[in-house]
Amino acid sequence: MADLSTKYLGLTLRNPIIAGSSGMTNSLKEIVELEKSGVGAVVLKSIFEEQILLEADYRIRQAQTDEMTYADFSETLDYIDLHIKEKELSGYLNLIHSAKNNVDIPIIASINAVTTHEWTSFARTIEEAGADALELNIFVMPFSLEKECADNEKAYYEILKKVKSQVKIPVSVKISPFFSNLGKVIKNLEKFGADGVVLFNRFSNPDIDIENLKVTHADILSHSSDVANTLRWIAIMAKRVKMSLGASTGVHDGATVIKQLLAGADIVQVVSALYEYGPSYVLEMTKFLNDWMERKGFNYVDQFRGKLSQQTSENPDVYERMQFMKYFGDIK
Amino acid sequence: MENIAEYIKEGRQEEWRVELRKAMKAKERTSIERVHMIEQDPHIRNKNILEVNQGITEEMAIVESHRCLDCVEPTCTIGCPVGIDIPKFIKKIEARDFLGAAAALKETNTLPAVCGRVCPQEKQCELNCFYTQKLDKPPIAIGHLERFAADYERNSGKMNIPKVATPNGVKIAIVGSGPAGLAAAGDLAKLGYDVTVFEALHEIGGVLKYGIPEFRLPNEIVDVEIENMRKMGVKFRTDFIVGKTASFEDLREQGFEAFFVGSGAGLPNFMNIPGENYNGIYSSNEYLTRVNLMKAANNGYDTPVLIGKKVAVIGGGNTAMDSVRTSKRLGAERSIIIYRRSIEEMPARVEEVHHAQQEDIEFLNLHNPVEYFSDERGRVNKMRLQKMTLGDPDASGRRRPVPLEGAEFDVDVDLVIVAVGVSPNPIVPSSLKDLKMTDWGTIVVNKETMQSSISDIFAGGDIVRGGATVILAMGDGRRAAAGIHKYVAEKVTVK
Repeated sequence: MADLSTKYLGLTLRNPIIAGSSGMTNSLKEIVELEKSGVGAVVLKSIFEEQILLEADYRIRQAQTDEMTYADFSETLDYIDLHIKEKELSGYLNLIHSAKNNVDIPIIASINAVTTHEWTSFARTIEEAGADALELNIFVMPFSLEKECADNEKAYYEILKKVKSQVKIPVSVKISPFFSNLGKVIKNLEKFGADGVVLFNRFSNPDIDIENLKVTHADILSHSSDVANTLRWIAIMAKRVKMSLGASTGVHDGATVIKQLLAGADIVQVVSALYEYGPSYVLEMTKFLNDWMERKGFNYVDQFRGKLSQQTSENPDVYERMQFMKYFGDIK
Repeated sequence: MENIAEYIKEGRQEEWRVELRKAMKAKERTSIERVHMIEQDPHIRNKNILEVNQGITEEMAIVESHRCLDCVEPTCTIGCPVGIDIPKFIKKIEARDFLGAAAALKETNTLPAVCGRVCPQEKQCELNCFYTQKLDKPPIAIGHLERFAADYERNSGKMNIPKVATPNGVKIAIVGSGPAGLAAAGDLAKLGYDVTVFEALHEIGGVLKYGIPEFRLPNEIVDVEIENMRKMGVKFRTDFIVGKTASFEDLREQGFEAFFVGSGAGLPNFMNIPGENYNGIYSSNEYLTRVNLMKAANNGYDTPVLIGKKVAVIGGGNTAMDSVRTSKRLGAERSIIIYRRSIEEMPARVEEVHHAQQEDIEFLNLHNPVEYFSDERGRVNKMRLQKMTLGDPDASGRRRPVPLEGAEFDVDVDLVIVAVGVSPNPIVPSSLKDLKMTDWGTIVVNKETMQSSISDIFAGGDIVRGGATVILAMGDGRRAAAGIHKYVAEKVTVK
């Protein structure tokens, strides 16, 4: 049996497969099941600022239709978003507490932050509740026609700096690929204190139903083909940063886990595959990893991690090539 | 009074009303200026606890009553949660039958002197007045007139005690003596029930006593209303916590056939920002209870209260206004309201905001605290404020407060009062495991009857709504009384 253990954000994980932040990591029951299925760690479901605002709107509408909830002019309703947030956060802290009391794998909390405000101070409470690490899921929608690109990037750094000033536990940042110079942004995140970076967060995407002429949601779950961009950037950044690298999006089988480790990832985050095949699918993935390592003669993960990163592979320019060259154009 | 609209319509046809309408042309009525409340001078009143509003005189009330057009469709009544026949009581004033006006108010409102002082009329009856809706003129001063009629009756020495039906011997327990409980008790007493009000504190009145300061609602006013209820046969037991002192089961064994729970929302909410636990940071509930109910600021009382020189009050509702104006009266050199929206979005009564401004209260609108700091002894000495701007509207139509990135500054303070809302009192719910609750800790009730998931328990006010106004709570109490009456008639053999 190969040693699958790995280091991530300074934590020792029994294997590099982490259950990513999702609806499956939102209750103690599911977290316990995930531990039984063999995941190396769990990232709890993110708390979303946007979700709190939607809930606040729902409460306000209830009050307006006299559903016996609040008076229109009460201070409680006036600050309802604050109270909803408080309630959500309190439930979140309870989840961290109970998870820490019931499982042995590391528990990574997750905040979906878009501003540097009160959310960053919540990081301290998360630490006090016992979380082993914190993942900041940051996405500032880049559609402002007034802001400069650098202003957007600055928002990421400010959130990170503020959170780092509040906590001692390791902090990773989960980002999107939408930056004008992604490599520099990742380097800067390390400079401003990130203990790790996770590439990339997955968004709800729009689609259009041409029969009913409606805007709809595209597929929520990822596909195995979505892995390429993450693979590229893990390979490019491996050995160029000292912080941990996590690969997310499109990790659907054991082979992809191995690819990401070869590219230089410390861990992979799995979500869609767990939704599709259930938590026990992790057992298959770890078995595949173990069998492959034994077949290839690797005793532990660090023996092959980053072996095919851009810096160490024999064919590094593949990772940089974006445009199809002439001879690819001949492929029918 | 099954059909209020029909009752109001019939009343309008009475001969005396028809005669009054004929006595003055509508055009003359609409040309009269709205009456102005007599007030204490702002710079004198902000150093005493006497009532700010001094009331209006008989002459002023009569003039104001002439403005009322006695509309065919009195839209003002739609805005009243307790269904007062507003034109009737105003026309009684015009007819100089002031005691009759008070009696008309008491047909549906147990506490007219209270409501005349604390109701947000500009958002209810006065908002729906014909003058506001169609003439674009200041509405009839319904609140001032209500107060006038109730005060006149009280000062006349001829208080009308509402008639009560022949006692039916059925015992009803009211849990909590705030506005919801008192309204329910009043209606049930009129129907002949044997009503006992259980109050956890040592004084009757709930939020009317501990929450609203004397300068806005003198305790004496509440006491007179309570005394009237005693005369109607309502019994009061203080220092009695239902769910602790005695359980519901104990009370059932003592013969209580039904319960109305109006135990309010006594749990203050905080913002949970760093430093909020420092000394010198109160909830508005605690601060106002210490001052109003426990007389902490009076010589000869043992209850302590911290006196601030630089006081910040967080919030924009009536409780925030009450707290900040109280702090000024207790000697603060600087009393500031810190509210994250603009003044237009404040939920406080317009009059309270206006009075606070007159009393040299500073308003830091579009600001929100993000952190508190303390001296070496743990007493708050500074707060960090975040400047806000207004973003897109939320579901209420008000624009949402959004932080202005990077715009923070510090303000010196030595007392902070947080008035950002309250949560329901958990004692009753936690003592009844079968009681259906919302995930917000409020009791789930049938909207029409106010009956809970336990058939003999009815509820209303803050314990159901999470946060209500006095008049909404009273409306709940009245509906619950009707619900209890129906329940008893159907389920219990009346002795």
